[in-house]
Amino acid sequence: MRVIVRTVSELCITVGTLIVLFVAYVLFWTGVRADGAMNDQIDQLHRQWSRGSMQPAAAAGERKPGAETKPAPYRYGKAFAIMYIPRLGFTWNKPVLEGTGRDVLEKGLAHYARTARLGEEGNFAVAGHRRTYGDPFKDFPELRPGDAVVLTDGTTWFTYRIDKGPYKTVPTDVEVIDPVPRKSGYTRPGRYLTLTTCDPEWGHSHRLIVWAHLDSTQSVEAGEPEALRR
Amino acid sequence: MYGWIWRHLPGNVWVRALISLLLVLAVIYVLFQYVFPWAEPLLPFNDVTVDNQ
Repeated sequence: MRVIVRTVSELCITVGTLIVLFVAYVLFWTGVRADGAMNDQIDQLHRQWSRGSMQPAAAAGERKPGAETKPAPYRYGKAFAIMYIPRLGFTWNKPVLEGTGRDVLEKGLAHYARTARLGEEGNFAVAGHRRTYGDPFKDFPELRPGDAVVLTDGTTWFTYRIDKGPYKTVPTDVEVIDPVPRKSGYTRPGRYLTLTTCDPEWGHSHRLIVWAHLDSTQSVEAGEPEALRR
Repeated sequence: MYGWIWRHLPGNVWVRALISLLLVLAVIYVLFQYVFPWAEPLLPFNDVTVDNQ
């Protein structure tokens, strides 16, 4: 009898400890890991850009008439840009990686592979974690029309301005990342940006969407864009 | 369970305590490195895309 009681109590304590450890892992440890991974990605990008070995960006290529070099395709799981959203904090900056696999989302924001390239005609769509893995899009509902979403690929600054959102939808609503998203209010083709994350904060029943249009571009030599200056 | 482990560890109390501590750390390492990364995707926090990849 005593053996049974003892074993059951020990099991309960073990399970309790396991749950506490797991919660600590999900809430804390994934963030520690992701912050490290994201900083690594950003450092790598900066090193790559300062070496000048990066591929010419799409928009940069377009602006130079006669430039025939086609930009290298984004490689799955590789970072190619850094995103800044002043509304989420002046120090908020995250790497954008190609592909939306789970392994990619653990290292930064994820670019939907079948959508347009940064700054190009079409819809540049990016997904990010709302919670866990560094909580990149924790304050997503704070975004308002007019807010700037700034990206750089090492040669060009792209400033997008939010037009609509946060818009709540269901997970199967793939139309939101169409080249001209139906619900966004855009009627003709343009250079758009879509951000997606999960909703509610800790759930997965819905998605939050934000749409933006390309407002301005400038080369990195011209310094940081207006939106990033305090 | 824990009593059984304790009785089967060698050495005096201090050695046993040290080995127990190492065992606990090893278990935590295995959990954080292998078990939790496997279990975490079963939670809903990963579904942030609209095309369910």
